[in-house]
Order: sequence, then C-alpha cells, then structure tokens
Amino acid sequence: MTSGALGGFKVIDLGQAVSAPWCARLFADQGADVIKVEPPRTGDVARQWGPFPGDVPDPEKSGLYFFLNTGKRGVTLDWARAAGRELLLELASRADVLIDNHLPPQLRDLGLDYATLAQRNPDLVMISITPFGQTGPYRDWNGCDLNAFHLTAAGSRYCGRPGEAPLEHGTFAADFFGGAAGAAWGLAALLGRRAAGGGQQLDVACAEVIAATFTGSQNIGAVALSGTFDRRTGVGMSLRAPATILPCRDGHAWILAIEDAQWQSLVRAMGSPAWAEAEPFRDLQMRAQNADAMYPLLAEWTRAHSKWEIMERCQAEGVPVTAVFTVAEVAGHPHLRERGCIVELEHPALGRVRTLGAPFRLQGSELQPGRPAPLLGEHNGEVYRDWLGLDDGELERLRAAGVL
Amino acid sequence: MTTPAPDGSGRALPLAGLRVANFGWVWAGPVVGQTLGFLGAEVLKIESRARVDLLRMLPPFAGGVRDPDRSLSNHAGWAGNGSVTLNLKTPEARDLALRLVAVCDVVVENFGPGAMTALGLDYAALCQVRPGLVMLSMPAAGLNGPLQSVRTYGLSLSSLTGLDSITGYAGGPPVPFENAFADPFNGIMGAFAVLAALAGRERTGQGQHIDFSQQEAVMQMVGPAFMDYFLNNRVAGPRGNRHPLDAAAPHGVFPCAGEDRWISIAVASDREWQALRGAMGDPPWAASGELAGLAGRLRHLDSLHEQLAAWTRNFDDYELAGRLQQQGIAAAPVLNVGDLLRDPHYRARGTFIEVQHPLGFQETIYGAYVKCSRTEPVVEPGPRMGRDNERVFRELLGLGAADYQRLIEARVIW
Repeated sequence: MTSGALGGFKVIDLGQAVSAPWCARLFADQGADVIKVEPPRTGDVARQWGPFPGDVPDPEKSGLYFFLNTGKRGVTLDWARAAGRELLLELASRADVLIDNHLPPQLRDLGLDYATLAQRNPDLVMISITPFGQTGPYRDWNGCDLNAFHLTAAGSRYCGRPGEAPLEHGTFAADFFGGAAGAAWGLAALLGRRAAGGGQQLDVACAEVIAATFTGSQNIGAVALSGTFDRRTGVGMSLRAPATILPCRDGHAWILAIEDAQWQSLVRAMGSPAWAEAEPFRDLQMRAQNADAMYPLLAEWTRAHSKWEIMERCQAEGVPVTAVFTVAEVAGHPHLRERGCIVELEHPALGRVRTLGAPFRLQGSELQPGRPAPLLGEHNGEVYRDWLGLDDGELERLRAAGVL
Repeated sequence: MTTPAPDGSGRALPLAGLRVANFGWVWAGPVVGQTLGFLGAEVLKIESRARVDLLRMLPPFAGGVRDPDRSLSNHAGWAGNGSVTLNLKTPEARDLALRLVAVCDVVVENFGPGAMTALGLDYAALCQVRPGLVMLSMPAAGLNGPLQSVRTYGLSLSSLTGLDSITGYAGGPPVPFENAFADPFNGIMGAFAVLAALAGRERTGQGQHIDFSQQEAVMQMVGPAFMDYFLNNRVAGPRGNRHPLDAAAPHGVFPCAGEDRWISIAVASDREWQALRGAMGDPPWAASGELAGLAGRLRHLDSLHEQLAAWTRNFDDYELAGRLQQQGIAAAPVLNVGDLLRDPHYRARGTFIEVQHPLGFQETIYGAYVKCSRTEPVVEPGPRMGRDNERVFRELLGLGAADYQRLIEARVIW
C-alpha cells in the first residue's frame, strides 16, 4: 500500500487494547503499511472485550478490536520464545516505527526494550505509550486507563458531584489522549530523523499528557502561586451562568449563555419570561451568584421542549446552546453522513459493519480505511514472505513449532 | 532557522527549519502550535491588542496585575512560541500577514468557518503567496455540512460527539465536564494532521487545506460506544467509573481517609482478584466462589464496590496504592489539582517546570508532555504580546525603520 500521505512508511503495532492500537490506526488511516503483531491463539486482549454482536463472545467479532485495527494487516508471533523474539527483531529492523503499550517490565523481561531494538535499527522510532511512562517512581506499576486518568486531577477538578466520586468519561479517555500524543510526537520524530540524526524512543505517559496539557495548563500557574485550587461542582462553570446541562423533554441540552448578548438572546428564545428579566439575573456577576436559583427556572422551560427545538431556537439567536447528542443521534445525523466520517466495511466474520473512519481526511488518503481489521494471523503468509523473505517451508516449520 | 538540541550534541530537533504562522486562539489552536514548537518548529502566534485572546485575560495574574502578558493560566498553552501583533482588520496588516505566510510552511487557525475568508486570508489567497502551503482549519464541526455554523464553546463541543451522553454516574443523567477536555486533545490531533500533510507534501510536492472537524476527532474517543450501537443498536448512557466494556471488575474510584481523598482500583484478571482478596486479609464476603470469576463479579458489582469502599476508606490513598501495587494490583491515588506539583512521579519526570518570564516573574508551566530519548525540547515561557515584532517585520520581512514605526503608530502592528 503506497497511497496516502504516509504511504511507504512501515509501522509495527505491538499494542494491546486501546492506546497503542489506536495510535497505530491513525498511521494506517493516512496510508502507512501497519502490521499488527499479536500473540498466537489469544491475540490482542481487545478481541475478548467486545462489544460482540448479540453479546456472544467471539475473538473475531469484537467491535472494539474492529474499530481500533482497521486498515492494518495482522500477523501472529510468540515473542516470549527465542525464535519468535528473533522474528520480531527482524521485523523491527525493517520498520520505520514500532508502537507499543506493554508495561516497561514486560518488555525488559523479554529483552525487547528500546536499547535492544535500536541496536538492530538505529533509525527506528519507538512510540511507547503506557499509563505512567518509562521513568519515575510509578514506571513499573501495574495500571490501566482508569488509573492513569485519575492521576491527572481531571476528574477531581472537573467531573462529578462534590462529596461523590470523581468521574472519568465513560470511555478510555487517557488511552486516547496518550495515543494522540504518541502519533503527533512519533510522526515528528519520524519525519525529522535526518535532522535529529536517527530514530528515538518517545516515552508517552497517558497520565502525564492529560495532567500537563489539560489540568495543568489552566491550573498549575495558580496553584504554584497561591497553593489554592478548585474542585468539581457537578454543575458546570462556576464563575459564569448559565453554563450547565439541563433536562429536556427528550434528553438533555448544554445551556451556555455566558456573555451579556448571549443571555439577552436566550431570554428572547424563551419568549422573555418575567423571571428572566428580574433583578437577581441582571448582569453577569449576579447570574453567576444566583445560578442555584436560576437553574430550576430555566429547567422548567427546557423540560417543556425538545432538545432539538431548544438548540435550533438558541442557535438561530446566536446562543451556543447544543443538544446532548446520544451515540445514535450522532450516528444518524445528516451532517456526519454527508461528511463521510462513518464508513462501512465488509469483514469475513462480522459481515458488513459500520465503524468510525479516519478522524480527518487528507487529499490522497480519502479512501482510508481501505481494509477491515485483520483476522488473527490473517496475513502471516504475505507479511513474512514480503518483509522477511521467508519461504513456505520456513513458515510451515514456524507454524508447527507454535511460533506463529 | 535551526533549533539546536540543548545538550550540545549538534543534533537538531526533529522539526527544525519549519516555520508556522498560528492564527489560533483560546486553546485548541494554540496547542497545535505549541506541540509543533516543542518539536523544533518556529511558531509565530499572530494576535492583536484589537481583540485580545481570551486566554490572556484568564486570572490569576503575576503580581496581581491584570495584564494580557501576565496571565498565569495561559502561558502554558503556547510556551516556546513567538508572538507578532497584527490588527488584521486593517488592509496593511493583511498585506503583512500575507508577506509572513509567504515565508512559512504551515498556517493554523481555529476560527469559525468563513472567518479567514472575511479577513482575505483564505487558502486560495495564502496559496498565491506560498504555493505548497499546508493550512489547518479546525472549526467545531468542519468546513462544510449542515452543522458547519454550529456555535459551541470548547466545553460543550463534546455534546455533539456522544461523549457527554456517556459521562455521569451509572444510570443517572449526564454530568457536565466542567472544562474543555476536547481542546488540548484536538490541539494534539491537529498537530498530527499538519505533520501527516507535510509528509504528503514531501511525497507529492502538493500542499493542502486540512478540513479538521473537532467534532469528528472527539468522536474517536467514543468509538467503543459507537461500536455497540453499530453492532447491537444499543445506546450507551453514563456508567460512572465502570470499565467501558465491562472487561474488569472491580473497576472504580473508592474513598480513602481524609477529605475528598480517593483511590482508583481496576481488577482485570481473576489472579489480580485473588491478590486483592489477600491484600484485604481475605474477608468472608470476598471468599464467595461467585466472585472468583469476572462474570460473577460483574453480577454483584454494586455490592462488591460497596464492600471494597468500606475497606479502602480506612487507608491513606498513596499508602494503599503502594501496598496494592506490591501485590501487582492496578491501583493509584486519585489526585486533586493541589497534588500535581507534589506528586513524586510528576516531579521525577519534570512534568511541571518553573521558568523565568522576561517581564521579571517566575511562573510554573508544563514542560514537554512527551519525553524524547534523542532530542529534548527547549521550553520557554509563553511570549509577551508582540515579542517577535521587530525580528519578524524588520529582519525577516525587511521593513524599513520608518515604515515599521509608522505601522506601530497607526496600530497596524498592534
């Protein structure tokens, strides 16, 4: 595959579950030749996580695995065995990028750390994405997305009700942040190999990416200055109002009117009720101070209307109010259909299935992803032949020995 | 311009020689430039006193002085970048912007669709002065389609993606995420998009205008829930801190000793469950064979989480996390903002650094948020407005001294 902006680059995805596989998929979306390497028999753990059609577990039918691995070719390889490890080193010596998310002790124990790989291939860019990173006191900790996310203060500061548990979004938010950072920094390291004098390891700690770019960015200067900091309110912005999610007849809407003109427009959109023109809501500061009194009154109006009607009326008045879309409503929205970001692919086990395509489409890569996620070991033959020049006899021997 | 690595090795940073004009403002756009800057690009923020970037007016201010150059919150967002000031509403500023773009490789902007066109700075115009330009536009929902003009703020953008609909306590209503989580994510993704387009330009010689929809990038984070909808027609709702696909149990945040102290614990295997039982001293409730396997633990998840919480609340969060980690259990303290600067892990990694601002104050910002084994970025404080005016307009664009003075006085360079 040589089409697309990243056509011609060879990438190995040694990852499991979400962070590294998604990072590798971003490369595949832009045309890189991405080889997913999985342990024989079990494969990537995402194959066991579902969601499965009808909730019937089947390692070839995991929706998560499918979403994270479109556009890649798949091989199996038992790198815990000497012959498998050697094969992996051979693959890595021909690759431009290797993306991985095993915890540091796992790769060290197998002798597959960056130092070993760089000896074989000094131009290799290794993107290591783990919850806590390759250095620091927690580097050898066991951990997953949840542990990384809550080490960032993002939940404690911004999500959940006071007195109740801090919340993560209902997804792998830290893994996605880490995957994005790995892709951006890894691609820069790849394009800049000549300037930098060779390849290198990018040490991505999912927790650190969020702690720095999100929570730290807007809080760390203040906490260093004064030692004081804020916590979650469960409501929304605390210094402005209205800025919260309110219930509607058919769901919820984000009600935001944090400038004077927006508030005036919102009042018009509500049909100018008397309460909204009363003293407690006169200016920005009063509205923020009296948010507790305002929200029940606003909710009376929102509950009486559909979130779509509220969004339409407010947007027409220039107020940044939006419906809280469910996944079904996003998937069915004409805007996204028209833009083609949801694609349909044919898969041997799943049949025709929809998935999210590339997060952005470049000229020259519009058709990505071109292929569905691979079956376990689906491309053993062609990859080991094309990349390593193994013949059928050697392949058969490796298969019989359980290495593939 | 080549940015040498700070270690004296003579190695250049990966993006040395790349010049970026960043019209981005608030948060997402600046993070694109900052990321490229950390990697060695020369990034110039184009801004104006005629319309000061909101982030520059975010309190608190150094020394308590309310000034766009002293906001302690904003400097992290474009640390390492330069700044030139141009009042783009004036025709002469537009000409200067075009002259600047002519010597840049990349243009970044995160206004609404049409804003750059209104300024006379759309892709076609920019391409005339800089053939092969890579331009990143990152409006909320992309440059075209029925929602192209939708108005959002960073914190509500995620309502268009499904993400807000799955954030909240299990079975309850959506709970708002109280800041723009999407912004830095889109900033980092935007940098990746720019780099991919640059790689394409190396192959084909063609630049391009990237239509980057923040909505679509954030939808990726909701991928697992979309797949359940595509495969099973099931529409996800809030699920607290439970595993997004029920592949681990227990999986949550549990109270510890002290006010608002918590620990995150995730048990992904039966072996780890046995280890957790051991760490708890094998209480009778946990001995039930029903809990030995994941399916049973999921069936009894609420009571399991309650029992676990009753145990964790007796311990210090850091101490308990360390103890559980010794047994191989995925556990970590839940930090609050005040903990970030003290945490030994972030301290060891240099996540946050203190820098001396040229205006004479110290400030704490975040450093390189990814660590590179070969090329360590140079991190500088965010620029004061117009810091690079003289160098850019006089040296780079060759304005004469008299012209430069006149344009400052006419508030074109402003």
